[in-house]
Amino acid sequence: MKNRLRELRAERQWSQGELAEKLEVSRQTINAIETEKYDPSLPLAFKISLLFKQPLERIFVPEA
Amino acid sequence: MLNSNLPERDEKQPDPTAVKRALRSFELNAWLAVTTAVYLVTLFLVRHHPDWSPWLKITLALTPILPGLLYLRNGLQLLRGMDELQRRIQLEAWLFAALGTVVVSTIINVVNVHGLGGNWLPHGLEVGGTYLTMFLLWCVGVTIANCRYR
Repeated sequence: MKNRLRELRAERQWSQGELAEKLEVSRQTINAIETEKYDPSLPLAFKISLLFKQPLERIFVPEA
Repeated sequence: MLNSNLPERDEKQPDPTAVKRALRSFELNAWLAVTTAVYLVTLFLVRHHPDWSPWLKITLALTPILPGLLYLRNGLQLLRGMDELQRRIQLEAWLFAALGTVVVSTIINVVNVHGLGGNWLPHGLEVGGTYLTMFLLWCVGVTIANCRYR
């Protein structure tokens, strides 16, 4: 699944560590999501959506 | 739910969750070391004192269970404190270790059944060998999973 996490984080000038702290996960998790090696669980996806104030489908896009 | 009022931090500072995890991991390994040490001491005492009463020997033989239980408790606490990716890494590592141990054990048994193993592990892996193989394969599994999600 593709996502815009890196782009959204960069807009806010947050480091991966800061985003990880805000979402209460490890920096490795943020990196794995950004590099699309790992798809987050639904609860974490909703947390991300809530933090960036954007609907899920605007952050996560299924691969065609 | 979200911790959005945190002060900005320098990226070069250590990740506090990683530091906490490392400390818990160290504590877990310390309990494993204590369990192993107690097991070796009690094994030595039981084997070298056949004249001791059976009850004392049973008590001594079961003593490693106490630090073993503390090890398990710490392991569960560590698992509970992990985020979802860390849990997935652990799950993949345990699966790798379990399947790998089955494969190793089967190979040794097949070799023994055909009489090709000679005196090498005539009774298979046994309990100690099984735990050791699982532990080594778990280390390999964690390393592989960490590389995959790096």
